[in-house]
Amino acid sequence: MTVLDATLSDGRKAQYVLVDNPPAGGMKKTYFSPDRSYVVQFYHKQSAAHDPQRKSRLEAILGKYNPTIIQAQGGAAASETSADYFKRLFCWPTGIVVQPDIGIVAPTYPGHYFFADGPFKGKEKEGGWFLGTKTRKLLPGSELGNWKGYFSLCICMARAVRRLHLAGLAHSDLSSKNVLIDPLQGTSVIIDIDSLVVPGLYPPDMMGSPGYIAPEVLGTQHLPINDPNRHLPSIATDQHALAVLIYQYLLLRHPLRGPKLHSTASAEEDEHLAMGSKALFVEHPADSSNQPRDLKIPYTILGQDLTDLIKRAFVDGLHAPHKRPAAAEWERGLTKTWDMLIPCTNPVCTHQMFVLADPRSVCCPFCKTFYPINTLPVLKLRSERRPGQWLPDGQIVAFHNQSLFPWHVFDNLYSGELADRTPQAYCVFHEGRWLLINQAMDSLTSPGGNRVPIGSAVELKDGARFRLSQQAHGRIAEVQLLQV
Amino acid sequence: MSETTRRLPVYLLLDTSGSMSGEPIEAVRQGVKALLADLRSDPQAIETAYLSVITFDSVARQIMPLTELMAFQEPMLRASGATALGGALKLLDEAINREVRKNSSTQKGDWKPLIFLMTDGMPTDSWESAADTLKNKKPGNLIACAAGPGADEKPLKRITEIVIRLDTLQPDSLKAFFRWVSDSIKVTSQSIAQVAADTPINLPPPPPQIQIVP
Repeated sequence: MTVLDATLSDGRKAQYVLVDNPPAGGMKKTYFSPDRSYVVQFYHKQSAAHDPQRKSRLEAILGKYNPTIIQAQGGAAASETSADYFKRLFCWPTGIVVQPDIGIVAPTYPGHYFFADGPFKGKEKEGGWFLGTKTRKLLPGSELGNWKGYFSLCICMARAVRRLHLAGLAHSDLSSKNVLIDPLQGTSVIIDIDSLVVPGLYPPDMMGSPGYIAPEVLGTQHLPINDPNRHLPSIATDQHALAVLIYQYLLLRHPLRGPKLHSTASAEEDEHLAMGSKALFVEHPADSSNQPRDLKIPYTILGQDLTDLIKRAFVDGLHAPHKRPAAAEWERGLTKTWDMLIPCTNPVCTHQMFVLADPRSVCCPFCKTFYPINTLPVLKLRSERRPGQWLPDGQIVAFHNQSLFPWHVFDNLYSGELADRTPQAYCVFHEGRWLLINQAMDSLTSPGGNRVPIGSAVELKDGARFRLSQQAHGRIAEVQLLQV
Repeated sequence: MSETTRRLPVYLLLDTSGSMSGEPIEAVRQGVKALLADLRSDPQAIETAYLSVITFDSVARQIMPLTELMAFQEPMLRASGATALGGALKLLDEAINREVRKNSSTQKGDWKPLIFLMTDGMPTDSWESAADTLKNKKPGNLIACAAGPGADEKPLKRITEIVIRLDTLQPDSLKAFFRWVSDSIKVTSQSIAQVAADTPINLPPPPPQIQIVP
């Protein structure tokens, strides 16, 4: 085993194991450290001319734009908690290699991003495996996860992209290849961070990946690079790619790939139009010409919040970039929808979960199984916007074993990177009654006005209204008991 | 086959003439094996790439019709006889006509085929008219490889603009060639939408064992 030293820009050394045919992508080749805890990646020689600003771009990405290092140490993270959280959502480079060649040092992906089983055991879980109709069939059931996992990994992805955009960065090449996913743990990690675009400072050096390139980028590709009408990868095009990924992971189909033909001249020209200037949402409400015949489950099963976002992304904003939802809106829409997920009781259901999209029909859209109990409580949350004025600002389905978290109890807490994830209460269906059992709330108050100590319960009767906390920002919950 | 998916047809035209016998043909076998294993570990390639093998010695045969990657059976390759390049080119033309779906007003056609032709000698049949037909029709992106010291580049230049040269038929050179073929297929299956029908495709840079013949 030949172990070599790479010299980093700050003088540190990083060891790597020399191999004959290192794994290589379009931009760089990868060597592992002797203990495989990090990788050393060298850029292909011929790509250097392609990006004259590479070193200063890397310095900016590793430094002041870096959400995995706290500000006091030259990074961009507001706190250690935030830095640690984003270390899990990004595979952020940790060093710039200057000798023997220009390259980067990055952490190895955590073990759960490699298949543990099946024909692709040991391969990285790039999203493409789970999205391809052929490849998905080849994956063992133990790798597929359930629908909740896909929601959760979409939240991770939206949160990560939100964090980039907040800093003014654009990823520029979001795709199923550049986001590894683990549906089992419900997590995702964005990789290939080193080509991030700092708008105005470091322009994009690539267009993106097929299927994820925004229509305006493809549609203006023929114009010179400095033409004012030319669209290049940006935050707005990331918003398109993010919407495509979320739609794909939740519905397992592509939002723009349908049967509509735009050109008979060649497949390439047809594709160029279908993904570019003529792009048409497969579920466009007023134009069904691109709808696949086998599309059976409409996107509206995702509930009102995601329906609205998808419509903005692929109907209103497909050709109008400024109308697309921001990553933060996706994050919020997904977390709100997360609270409306219900477990499907059919043990062989492919999804195991569904969204309570229609309160009149609590039925799994994937296997058509009805909810087995004839009532189901939904907690309508309200917060006090002005003294005495309680306005609705959320809801959560209180199915058996559902948990309430601090961000449900208080209207000024958020389920993001800084959240305390201690369950505050859980719901049970016990002897014909729905109960909310207090686990950690110090001032839960019953509808009658009595404090409910930890370990005691509030019964969830239709119309019941009670304070989750008497403290500032504590919410009121109002029970709606659905008749199933 | 769904109404919305396109295939990337890949044709391998392999010279199995007598001069390939022994170490070179064994290296080609290993090369095809490695190519398959490599492509089968790439989700985009599994989804879109379809593979066919045409061999040519004294006669040309399509020993594997266009088949999806996971169903592809490794072909039995044996080396003997002459170099019927013309026959192989004719067979390729027929196979593409028969197997590659055209774009029409009612169906999404396949991507432009990717064709790799490897020969170690000089054609022994009449090949000129088949070469001219192919160059005029341009049914796909054809990459021709003149392998080893005995290979003649001139006929290849008459078939396609993209001609590369392998200096030797050593196992390492052939291995590098097949690895590059595999990388090229992967890159094409990943970036296909950006390829305008009339511009040359953008293949990864070849390894040092391969020279591009200008």
